[in-house]
Amino acid sequence: MTLSLTWIAGLLARRRGRLIATTLGVAIAVSLLAAIGAFLSGSTAAMTERAISRVPMDWQVEGQAGADPAKLLATVNAFPQTSTALPVGYADAAGYQATVGGKVSTAGPGLVLGIPDNYRATYPDEFTQLIGAERGVLIAQQLAANIGVTVGDTVQIQRVGLTPSGVKVDGVIDLPTADALFQKIGVPPGTPQPPPPDNVMLIPQATWHTIFDPLAAARPDLVRTQIHLSVDHAALPRDPGAAYIRIGGLGRNLETQLGGTGLVGNNLAHALAKARSDSVYARIVFLFLGLPGIILAGLVTASVAAAGANRRRREQALMRTRGATTRSLVRLGLAETLLVALVGGAVGLVGAFVIGRTAFGASGFGATTRDSVLWSVGALVAGAIVAAAAIALPAWRDARSLTVAAARQTVGRAGNPWWIRYGLDVICLAAAGLIFYWTGSNGYKLVLAVEGNAQVSVNYYSFLAPMFLWIGTGLLTWRIANLVLARGRGALARAARPLAGGLSGTVAASMVRQRRQISGALTLVALTVCFAASTAAFNATYKQQAEVDARLSKGADVVVTESQGAVVGPEGAARFTSIPGVKVVEPLQHRFAYIGADLQDLYGVNATTIVDHAQLQDSFFVGGTAKQLFATLAAKPDAILVSREAVIDYQLKPGDRVNLRIQNGRTKQTIPVRFTYAGIAKKFPSAPSDSFFVANAGYVAQQTKSNAVGTFLIQTGSTPPKQVAQLVAQKVGTSALVSDITSKRRKIAGSLTSVELAGLTRVELAYALVLAAAAAGLLLWLGLAERRRMFAIAHALGAKRRQLGSFIWTEITFVTAGGLILGAAGATGLAYMLVKVLTGVFDPPPTSLAVPWIYLTSVGLISIAAVVAAGIAALRAAHHPATATLRDL
Amino acid sequence: MTVLVRCEGVSRTYGSGPTATLALRPANCVIEVGQRIAMTGPSGSGKSTLLHLMAGLDDPTSGQVSWPAIGRRDELRPGPMAMVFQGPSLLAPLSVVENVALPLQLSGAKPADALRRALAALALLGLDGLADKLPEELSGGQAQRVAVARVLASDPVLILADEPTSQLDHDNATRTIDFLLAAADATGAALLVSTHDHSIADRFPVRWTVADGVVTTNGANR
Repeated sequence: MTLSLTWIAGLLARRRGRLIATTLGVAIAVSLLAAIGAFLSGSTAAMTERAISRVPMDWQVEGQAGADPAKLLATVNAFPQTSTALPVGYADAAGYQATVGGKVSTAGPGLVLGIPDNYRATYPDEFTQLIGAERGVLIAQQLAANIGVTVGDTVQIQRVGLTPSGVKVDGVIDLPTADALFQKIGVPPGTPQPPPPDNVMLIPQATWHTIFDPLAAARPDLVRTQIHLSVDHAALPRDPGAAYIRIGGLGRNLETQLGGTGLVGNNLAHALAKARSDSVYARIVFLFLGLPGIILAGLVTASVAAAGANRRRREQALMRTRGATTRSLVRLGLAETLLVALVGGAVGLVGAFVIGRTAFGASGFGATTRDSVLWSVGALVAGAIVAAAAIALPAWRDARSLTVAAARQTVGRAGNPWWIRYGLDVICLAAAGLIFYWTGSNGYKLVLAVEGNAQVSVNYYSFLAPMFLWIGTGLLTWRIANLVLARGRGALARAARPLAGGLSGTVAASMVRQRRQISGALTLVALTVCFAASTAAFNATYKQQAEVDARLSKGADVVVTESQGAVVGPEGAARFTSIPGVKVVEPLQHRFAYIGADLQDLYGVNATTIVDHAQLQDSFFVGGTAKQLFATLAAKPDAILVSREAVIDYQLKPGDRVNLRIQNGRTKQTIPVRFTYAGIAKKFPSAPSDSFFVANAGYVAQQTKSNAVGTFLIQTGSTPPKQVAQLVAQKVGTSALVSDITSKRRKIAGSLTSVELAGLTRVELAYALVLAAAAAGLLLWLGLAERRRMFAIAHALGAKRRQLGSFIWTEITFVTAGGLILGAAGATGLAYMLVKVLTGVFDPPPTSLAVPWIYLTSVGLISIAAVVAAGIAALRAAHHPATATLRDL
Repeated sequence: MTVLVRCEGVSRTYGSGPTATLALRPANCVIEVGQRIAMTGPSGSGKSTLLHLMAGLDDPTSGQVSWPAIGRRDELRPGPMAMVFQGPSLLAPLSVVENVALPLQLSGAKPADALRRALAALALLGLDGLADKLPEELSGGQAQRVAVARVLASDPVLILADEPTSQLDHDNATRTIDFLLAAADATGAALLVSTHDHSIADRFPVRWTVADGVVTTNGANR
């Protein structure tokens, strides 16, 4: 015990640099792990909260045949978790008819909802007001378009077996949650839901009763009641998975109490099921991005400790000659390990707490106290393992196996390590390739969270591909560096000439004999660069796709939507071109077209400009790049891009004729227009998913006798979209709706895992920078400091500052340049693989990797600055060797 | 006679304040061309301190060191002055011949010339069989003899040897001193060897003694 304390006191007094560096390495590993715990804690709770807040109405209880709506409402109100419950009438309309300007228009069957007066105030997010009043008779946008009505027009609602009933339109709305509002309740989980009806009206409940009570009496199968309710969220668990199970159970509990009179459509459970898979993705992202960082922190720590290994061996050899036993030597190693693990662990936890609070807003290291304790203990154990692997294990190994003479050796004639002889690097890379191929053949499906199933299945094998790639890259880097040093002495001497001059041969010889240490340092620099660059590329690609998603939803930086009925041609773009900040204006026709009985959106574009002006991505299309497909459109006026669903439904092949029915601009009658199928558009700015067409605007205008443009897409370049949107709004007044991408971007950034991912990657990138600086600078400095005896000898022999520098700078240049180049090469492969394997995190999937040049340049510059600082410090120490060092000679 | 090194009132104190240690009291001494000097004294008496000051590796706290027949301090090494140290002083990553050639290369010799002269020096001392070995593969005595060969190769006018035999057994110590004297004879260099072994000191015509930081040359503190 006394010996251990004396040893520790000696280390604190004379080996402070090595001790602090090792402790910091442990602190980095602990804080990274605990910070990720904080990330998971913060992110899972936020996901639950956000999923809940996005559901405009938690449950829909549909009364079954013969159920008394009043009793149904009473039972729902009596349910303990109910906070608000409102009855809503659903009635099937046989069709609609309107006479506008002497012309009669009709629309097919649809649904008419009877809503209470306070419904809109209770569930405001179910509505998007387009024009007119917010109360009264509200008509859905598509029905209004189908029968050409607007505010003030009268619509005849046709009822089966009864005379039509007329209502006057007060407002036109959009129903953003139509899928939920018109869902088929009671179908087994996972069963595809039918699409929501096109022709929908929402009318006051009293009016609805007047119109549909007679229908209910005659045809009760066409009229039903739903209770729309909100439940108490306070008691829900913070974890999305647990909250999903709880809310699903509550829904079934209510169904039991309803005794077969009603079924629950659980919108909240549906949203939580999505959040549940997001939270699993968050864990996966942690594994993919966090684990390498922790391993790297461990490697850097071990390398920092190993930088002093020669000296420790010499010290051990000295102690053994004085009679120290293996046991006492191991005990000293353990004492050092304990000190480093305890101090490093404490510093790491404090650091993680601060990071967690600032980056993720987390107050602990887990969603619950138990989780916090587990993460804290886990992080401390990980830190202790890193410390033991860095200090105790080598001390034990050396104490057991080295002779005194061998322990004094610092260089030796290095042979190849066993893994090079067995080609482990090649095996790892091959395994990575095979697993990656296998994961790809499964469509990179990592998470399967089936609604209705409590279990979430995760394909953890997919982790092996990037893991093997990372390990293989590290080993291959070591092999390459070792090979260059072992076989390329002549070339190295020639390359070193600018730095070392006449000493280049000697410098090269010195490096060749220290190739194990130099290859190790180079590999670690490469691995940190690989980690930093791949994480940054993943993060940048994620941000890029979030932007693409926002752009896809919005269409452009600023969007001008003309009012219904307004006829503005493409020449209307001229109004905006002179506005400061407007870079380009792209007119976009928006019509509706029937294919068979389906009504779909039709976008008319200028095929020569749309790709650049709307920043279309290749991943939006199938059968060619964006440029190729729009070149086809430009060359063939009647060419049309259709959705994948349409291709399947109508078995289309390139060159097939597609007949659509589109409204004639003059007669308002639908007319057949012939197109030629040219390719598949999976996504298009502002288009709904799965059901739209893209065609030449000129051709559509010619065929429909109207060049009316529904939307103008405005790109603002570097000018803030909000600022341009304000100027555009001043220009158009109330004649058109102006919106900008900022709000959409905020909404996208607030969805899925992006907020937390941004926090995680920010922390990751900061750690990566620290690790890169540590690996490059600290390791070199420690390595050079350990060789200060060598430099002291050279100084005593008369080496000038420049000559000492030639040894230092040549080594530094080789390690840094090699590390940066091989690390960048590894990062390219790893980032590509990460983005592919984590495809599920991206929406839409990226066409190409985004390269964060600013960050990568920072990593490069910081690494170079760290090694230059290390070189200058080493050179200064070498040129003015401590008297003690000289006296040791 | 031509003076190679002159120390005038040179002293050295390490540290400051209450923990300051006076390693060398003010001393006056000279080394002349071709002299053979043994400097004796117990461990910690100040021998190494005086040697480092004369070699220009350390700065005196007071007094002045000059090298009248050699030149400025920064012109001493590599070239006119060479040193042999008490501990292993070969550079671990360089082979024996590269170690011997290093001072020549540091003084600007072409690599091929330096290696040729290094091999010649090794051959002169019968060490050419060790040329390609690494320092770790040598015994302590062999390593010290290679250090002497390194001195020989650089053709100096003054050799300072700081207890070159302190870590060697008697036979190896004797052989190393033989080598040093041979090297000095071969180059005509003056030689100052510090040692606490009187049998070695007896082989030198001039003896200095150092005790408690006080330097006595030829029985008188000049």
